[in-house]
Amino acid sequence: MSAVTQVAPVGARLRLPKVPPLTALAGVFLVVVAACALFPGFAPQDPAAINAAESLQGPSGAHPLGTDQLGRDTLSRLVAGARTSLLGPLVLGLGVTAISTVLAVAAGWFGGRTDAVISRIIDFFYSVPALLVAIVVAGVTGGGFGITLVVLIIFGLPMHVRNLRAAVMERAHLPFMEAAVTLGLPTWRVVLTHLVPTIVPNVVAVFFVTFTYGVVELSSLSFLGLGVPPGAPDWGRMVADNRAAVFTDVWAVAAPAVAIVLLAVSANLIGEHVQRTHEQSRKER
Amino acid sequence: MTVATAPQGSARRALAPGLLRYVVVRVVSAVCVMFAVSIVVFLFIHAAPGGPEHAIGGELATEEQLESIRQRYGFDRPLPEQYLQFLGGILHGDFGESIIQKTPVATLIGETVKVTLPLLAFTWILAMGAGLALGILTASRPGSRLDRFSLGMTTLGASTPAFVVGTFLAWLFGVQLGWFPALGAGEGGLDTVRHLVLPAATAAIVLLAVTTRITRVRVGQILEEDQATFARARGLGRWWTLKHVVLRNAGVQLVTLSGSVVVSLFTGLILVERVFNLPGIGSLMVDAIHDRDMPVIQGVTFCVALLVVTVNLVVDLVCMAIDPRLRARLETNR
Repeated sequence: MSAVTQVAPVGARLRLPKVPPLTALAGVFLVVVAACALFPGFAPQDPAAINAAESLQGPSGAHPLGTDQLGRDTLSRLVAGARTSLLGPLVLGLGVTAISTVLAVAAGWFGGRTDAVISRIIDFFYSVPALLVAIVVAGVTGGGFGITLVVLIIFGLPMHVRNLRAAVMERAHLPFMEAAVTLGLPTWRVVLTHLVPTIVPNVVAVFFVTFTYGVVELSSLSFLGLGVPPGAPDWGRMVADNRAAVFTDVWAVAAPAVAIVLLAVSANLIGEHVQRTHEQSRKER
Repeated sequence: MTVATAPQGSARRALAPGLLRYVVVRVVSAVCVMFAVSIVVFLFIHAAPGGPEHAIGGELATEEQLESIRQRYGFDRPLPEQYLQFLGGILHGDFGESIIQKTPVATLIGETVKVTLPLLAFTWILAMGAGLALGILTASRPGSRLDRFSLGMTTLGASTPAFVVGTFLAWLFGVQLGWFPALGAGEGGLDTVRHLVLPAATAAIVLLAVTTRITRVRVGQILEEDQATFARARGLGRWWTLKHVVLRNAGVQLVTLSGSVVVSLFTGLILVERVFNLPGIGSLMVDAIHDRDMPVIQGVTFCVALLVVTVNLVVDLVCMAIDPRLRARLETNR
């Protein structure tokens, strides 16, 4: 074993994957946001400390990104808000990815009646706008982060189930799949170890696309005052709370707004990069 | 097979049996969906926390108040009976009375629609017009600077919430440059148009990402087909190809796209109306949610669902009308 590793050329150890600079920056930004979400202690000041005397100040040494209407430090609130702003889209992305993969494999691999039932349900939900339903449900039940997420996950499924199902059906008749079936492997092994690995890049793409939509939709709901409870530091809510200040001091609104867009764009860029490298490697094969 | 000899005029007027069946099935299923929607909307008030009495009387209502509400609204009667009464009201355009404003919900919706409808129309024209133009331009010059630029912009557009775009436009054109009013609905006439510019631009920019990308993909596909190459080989001009090959073939997708634009516009307008303080149907909805004004939530939801179902129905029927291939498939598939 050890002899094999020594034979490997020296350069191979240092070879980094080729990543466009913009995508690399996007990755760095995601890491920073994740760090803020994990360690809210990074915040230079107490994000909830109200100081009316210092309301709506521009950037200064004490407040690098200025203060909001209640005199709270904008940078600290950005750091504290990273958790909800990241967690929601993350749960949404994982939920949609997992469920749509299961449904797509069931519909595409087993076909027949399973496919018919799943496809019919998906068709029905297809033309219903998710955010609109989430707003109505929040209105009826009195809101809550959990139920909003569930609604967004359910209504976010259709497009991805359709795309993944098409991918599954395309792979299902490749020679190695038929070989696995002919060998008499149990169905769960054929599906889990032969079929699913081939659609992993598509599944990863689904995750990043849904994450992006999650950032957009959840921050929109926060902006409308639905979802995240009042007072909680959340980027969408920060924009809504300081909206009136756009006439006097733009920093309290601009900082969270830019953070939202950067988060969504970063996820989008990385998702596109994953998809592009996958397409290239398929062409090379 | 019969394409070349298809008669031009009256002989095709009569509805073919397959098409007739399709139209009937679509209309009936749309009506069924609306009945299902009416049941769901009816159940809203029963799904509210604390039950229907609390939904109307508030959390602090006393037992006598709750009792009188129960009697007045008939919550003590069996559910099917309550539903039939609710359905009867809807069919007469009666959604009950707003708890907060004490005015009929239908009146409130009528007032707010006057603000939302022009905005919806304005935005739809902007998003479809600009999206079509950009999509066709970039598809006919793939890899050009404009193509790459619009690809970058659509990535940015898909990642930017409408309220961020709106706040930015309000700040730039309303506050910094002062070209357009940043808030309010205006006093009517030209003033209203001036007030609608920024909200409509906001909603259109967000949608432009979708309309451009879908148009770009579909037009690109058609331009790679043999018929487009053949048209070029015959020396036919760019415009002829566009009109007779691209638009004829892409018609169905573009009609579907314009329908889904209307549907997603509705969500976008809720945010846009909030950003620009417009008293439209979206603001009515959000205010009702914050005030827990259940009859208004029910009324607006039903109307929006009606709009969505109608748009989808019209889109399907228009697709049938403009694409003979779809009609032919109906006849052979039976």
